[in-house]
Amino acid sequence: MLKLFPAQLPWWLAGPGMGLCVVALYGLANRRLGVSGALLAAVVAPAERWHGERWRVEFLVALVVGALAYGLAGSATRLTGYPVLSAAVPGWGLVPLLAGGGLALGYGARWAGGCTSGHGLSGCAAGSPDSLAATATFFAVAVAVTFAARALSGGAL
Amino acid sequence: MSRGARASTAAVGVAFGFLITGCGFGNYATIHQALLFRSWYLFAVFGSALAVATAGLMLVRRAGTTMFGGPLRLHHRPAQRHSFYGAAVFGAGFGLCGTCPGGAVAMVATGGVGSLLVLAGLVLGLRLRGVTEGASRAGPDRVTSPGPTRRFPAVRG
Repeated sequence: MLKLFPAQLPWWLAGPGMGLCVVALYGLANRRLGVSGALLAAVVAPAERWHGERWRVEFLVALVVGALAYGLAGSATRLTGYPVLSAAVPGWGLVPLLAGGGLALGYGARWAGGCTSGHGLSGCAAGSPDSLAATATFFAVAVAVTFAARALSGGAL
Repeated sequence: MSRGARASTAAVGVAFGFLITGCGFGNYATIHQALLFRSWYLFAVFGSALAVATAGLMLVRRAGTTMFGGPLRLHHRPAQRHSFYGAAVFGAGFGLCGTCPGGAVAMVATGGVGSLLVLAGLVLGLRLRGVTEGASRAGPDRVTSPGPTRRFPAVRG
């Protein structure tokens, strides 16, 4: 890897930059930034035979390009299975855990109408009640699940 | 959608993908440490992102219009049961996998190939929720439909 970028950007650069992304997408294109909506329009819509909005598809492609740009030139990039979890959970348990966790993420995001970006960032910044409710809920549950997993795994997680 | 709006979407997508990868949204350990309240880095990232996005959207709201997308339609919906239920399921996936939809993309981009499983589960989950909604009632697609949004006048107050 090229190691052009630090393993981790300072918070005062990454945070405000992400905030500006939300502002720019609304201020320029009148759109709510959201990753699960982009995945839905790009990958799921064709299977359900409806037309996902084109900008969402383009947003997803651009997002992947941006992520790969950092990944390819970032100094923390290395091929791994699944950090920490793959060491703590035996192989036969890891596959259903990851696929099941992903399933919950997708099912819940569509049910709630957004994810960390659409609700947590864009919707909360817009002051939308559903986003504030969803964000408080998923964060509280994520913390509870994390502590529960830590207790059940005897501190391995 | 105008050419300007499409170009903005692409530019914001690249920037957002770059930043979420750079700040460790794709790093299991980073998210895990945050969910255990052992590191404040992600809270600083998310808090500053939210602060900048909220302040920026206030300015866009005051302008009332967007550069390429017409009069501003900011996401604004009441909190309903689905906001809580969906977010609770999403939060469980968040806690189990230590990632979210954008984070899963970032994780693959930084070499965490195990996250492909999460992404596969995520797409399946999005689809499954569509099946559930289609079975219960032919409801609107909450993630993609514009829905009831609040229109802001050019000058408020």
